Amino acid sequence: MLKLKYIIPAVLLLLGAAFYFRGLGLDENIVKVDMSVREEINVPDPEPAITYAYLPQYSHKVSYQRHNRLIEYLARETGLTIRQVFPDTFEEHRRMVENGDIDISFSNPMTYIKIAGTGAKAFARIIEPSGSPTFRGQIIARKDNRIIRKVKDCIGKSWIAVDPLSAGGYLFVLGMFLEKGITSDDFKEIAFAAGPGGKQEKAVLAVYAGKYDFASIREGTLDIVKDKVNISKLRVVAETKPYPSWVYAARKDLDPKIIELISNAMFNLSMNKQDQSEILKQAGMRGIISAKDSDYDSIRVLIEKLGLSSPPNNTGGLVK
Amino acid sequence: MTFLSRLRFRTKINLGLTLIVGFTALIIALFVTSMASEALMEQSRKRGKVLASNLALRAEDPLLSTDLLQLESMVNEVKKADDEIVYAFIMDDQKRVLANSFRDGFPIQLRNANTSTDQNTIAAVMIDTGTEKIYDFAAPIFISNKKLGTVRIGLSRAGIQSVVQDLIFAISALTGAVLLVAVLVSTQFARRMTFRLGTLQRHAEEIVHTHLGPQKRDTSNSDDTIKSFFSPHRKRLKGDEVQELAETFDAMAMNLESHIEDLEITETNLTRQKELLKTIINVSPDFISLIGPALTYMAVNKPLATHIGKTEEEIVGMTDKELFPQRNLSIKNQEVRQVLNTGEIVNKETREMIDENSAIRWFHTIRVPVYSESDRIIGVLSTARDITELKSYQAQLIQSQKMESVGKLAGGVAHEINTPLGIILGYSQLLQDDVAPEDQISKDLKTIEKQAHVCRKIVSDLLGFSRQTESEKKEMCFNNSILEVVQLVSHAFKLEQIEISTVLDDRFPIIHGDPEKLKQVWLNLLSNAMEAVDEHGAIQITTILDISTMTITALFADTGHGVDQQKLGTIFDPFYSTKPVGKGTGLGLSVSFGIIKDHGGTIEAISPIPKDTLARMNRADTSGPGTLFKVVLPLDAISADEQVVNTGSA
Repeated sequence: MLKLKYIIPAVLLLLGAAFYFRGLGLDENIVKVDMSVREEINVPDPEPAITYAYLPQYSHKVSYQRHNRLIEYLARETGLTIRQVFPDTFEEHRRMVENGDIDISFSNPMTYIKIAGTGAKAFARIIEPSGSPTFRGQIIARKDNRIIRKVKDCIGKSWIAVDPLSAGGYLFVLGMFLEKGITSDDFKEIAFAAGPGGKQEKAVLAVYAGKYDFASIREGTLDIVKDKVNISKLRVVAETKPYPSWVYAARKDLDPKIIELISNAMFNLSMNKQDQSEILKQAGMRGIISAKDSDYDSIRVLIEKLGLSSPPNNTGGLVK
Repeated sequence: MTFLSRLRFRTKINLGLTLIVGFTALIIALFVTSMASEALMEQSRKRGKVLASNLALRAEDPLLSTDLLQLESMVNEVKKADDEIVYAFIMDDQKRVLANSFRDGFPIQLRNANTSTDQNTIAAVMIDTGTEKIYDFAAPIFISNKKLGTVRIGLSRAGIQSVVQDLIFAISALTGAVLLVAVLVSTQFARRMTFRLGTLQRHAEEIVHTHLGPQKRDTSNSDDTIKSFFSPHRKRLKGDEVQELAETFDAMAMNLESHIEDLEITETNLTRQKELLKTIINVSPDFISLIGPALTYMAVNKPLATHIGKTEEEIVGMTDKELFPQRNLSIKNQEVRQVLNTGEIVNKETREMIDENSAIRWFHTIRVPVYSESDRIIGVLSTARDITELKSYQAQLIQSQKMESVGKLAGGVAHEINTPLGIILGYSQLLQDDVAPEDQISKDLKTIEKQAHVCRKIVSDLLGFSRQTESEKKEMCFNNSILEVVQLVSHAFKLEQIEISTVLDDRFPIIHGDPEKLKQVWLNLLSNAMEAVDEHGAIQITTILDISTMTITALFADTGHGVDQQKLGTIFDPFYSTKPVGKGTGLGLSVSFGIIKDHGGTIEAISPIPKDTLARMNRADTSGPGTLFKVVLPLDAISADEQVVNTGSA
């Protein structure tokens, strides 16, 4: 028979050992660090490089994701050091181009017209995922909406637009209404999709849900949202005329050789090559073609027509 | 353990309960503390990872736009948000520190203390600064599979530890409180328990001292007894197992009392039966014994003990080997073993002689097995009855029957021979008349006549032996019949120089008998005696009257050559004779035997004669061995009474 005087110490010993080793388990991977050895931190100077900026249509992360591989490709092909920079606003983007902080600017046609005024020069434009180097704005309504059949039916109705700065999602359509003698006062309401990012989708969804009578969107948006809504229940009421697509512009005084090197590398991109098609798809384009400043005269005409002395500011306010 | 067993019951209960509660509380406290600590630590690690990954997510845009101010404000915000956060800093892909929360320079060694290379993993290490321990979390910033930098956050372990310490303190305090309450409760419980047990113990002592309780014997009704008996204890021990125990205890005491009484009665009965049985066994003249499986005596009766010469107690436990001589020992043991092994009953008559000089004794022995309750043989019961006397009577009976048969045969033959003998005698006498007396023929005829007379005498004896002749019994004086014969033969004895003496009982016993026939017996015995003794021999006749048995005994003692021991049984057979052919017929003693038997008496021969008889005859020990004939006859009933009266008056 086991005696009590042996059992109690044995059990206590076991428990103590279990507790001790259990406590040790918390302190695994101990690294000794002498916190007294310190240094002053200097902000690192950026390395000299060709700066590339994407108009901040999206967050910096999205901008980085879409253009990172394209920039790596261009650096690899040209042998240049190219660094993507991230202006926070359209205005900052414009100012940085003007100040020479952005060497290569990728912007929408409206912004290009503005930076072109400071000496920047277009040298390339993209082919849209649709295959065209142009893009259009569209008016959509629900298919069961029997009132809105043509453009004039939109008078007195509520309008959801993408953004006051959006070319295809607002300004192109606004120009089309003006051509037909319809001003912004003729609508019951003009609303813009709220929040950052994904505004095209929000405009489509608002009409689909019946909250607004019609929406203005960029061409190709319906393909993007086909997984989210049943687009057979929507109808394209009208389309604007095509306008030239997004544009690459070099800042004033950038070395023409560099422009040439970069543009050649851009023009060589082909959807037929596996790795290059991946780059293009990620950047949301099918290819890059040559461009010149006069390609964007139609935009200048539209601006004139809308009465915008300058491209709209980023607060969304329209200057009539 | 001995120390523990010496402790009071109350202390044991206290100690046991304290140990159990303490041990349980200790185990629970240890494990709960451990688990809670682990959970807190785990929670803390998760929190660190969440903080690091959040900061990494938020730092993506400022990092891309190299907005150092925003990064700086972000790390400072994070550090301010929580006291446990020791530091936060953000490095670019080349491990250059872009923003940090340190005020007085950045610790150089901290940069490489923790690295994370996997996109989805937040690495955690424990940093030991010498003064404190810090959990360091490294969250990498990946965009499109390209690492842009790393966010690092340090969480103080002391903060977590203090929470754990608080927890341990709370659990310890709670455990202590529970232990205290347990000890208090157990003390109270033990006190109550021992009080009740003490009451029970005092009650038990009462039972012991007063022989099953103070009030028990006062009442006869058992139910009333229980109620009255337990009432004081009921009040003190109310409604729990201890009370039930006390009641059971008392009921047991009463049962015990009852059983003891039964046992006493049974014991008395058993003792009485035992004494009775012992008396019966001891009264029996038989030798009764009980032998156990080890062949030792378990019990013997008094006659056997007396026979062996030891007391009954001495004999118990001894074996045959220790009690009896070697003779016949193996047969006895074999018989006992046979009964023990087979259960067969031994029933036999044995002839035993203790030693060479002692007389032979006959025993009828029965050995039967004794069975236990389980039908197993546990011993052998032996009874041995001395049947020597019976055997003697048996021999005498056989002898008598033999004599009777021979007598009948001889009587029949004698009747047949008597008639032709009469004719032979008659014709021989007639023929003598026809011849001259001097003639040889007359002499021959005389010889024929003489021998025919001899034959008639033999036939007459044979008829007498077979009692074919009628005897006339009448009252007669026993002594006179002897004296008449002595007188008749005294002359002839004198010639032979044989001394004849008589020692007769002077009370003149009267018997109912045939005087002539008895005289024939005495003559026969004296004639035999005369032939047995040499010259200068002596013959003594003694008569003894025994009123108690109503017999008269005649003893004919001689100092002759005696009779062999082996022949003593056959001398009364007809035609038995030690004399040479022509000297005797061998019918004398058998005829005498027949006459005495006809008178309802007995006759026997003893040789050599007893020494006291020899001494009475004034004879030296060298003479003899001699023979003593003892004739015992019953007295006549009427005359005996008269004799008694006469004797009494004389």
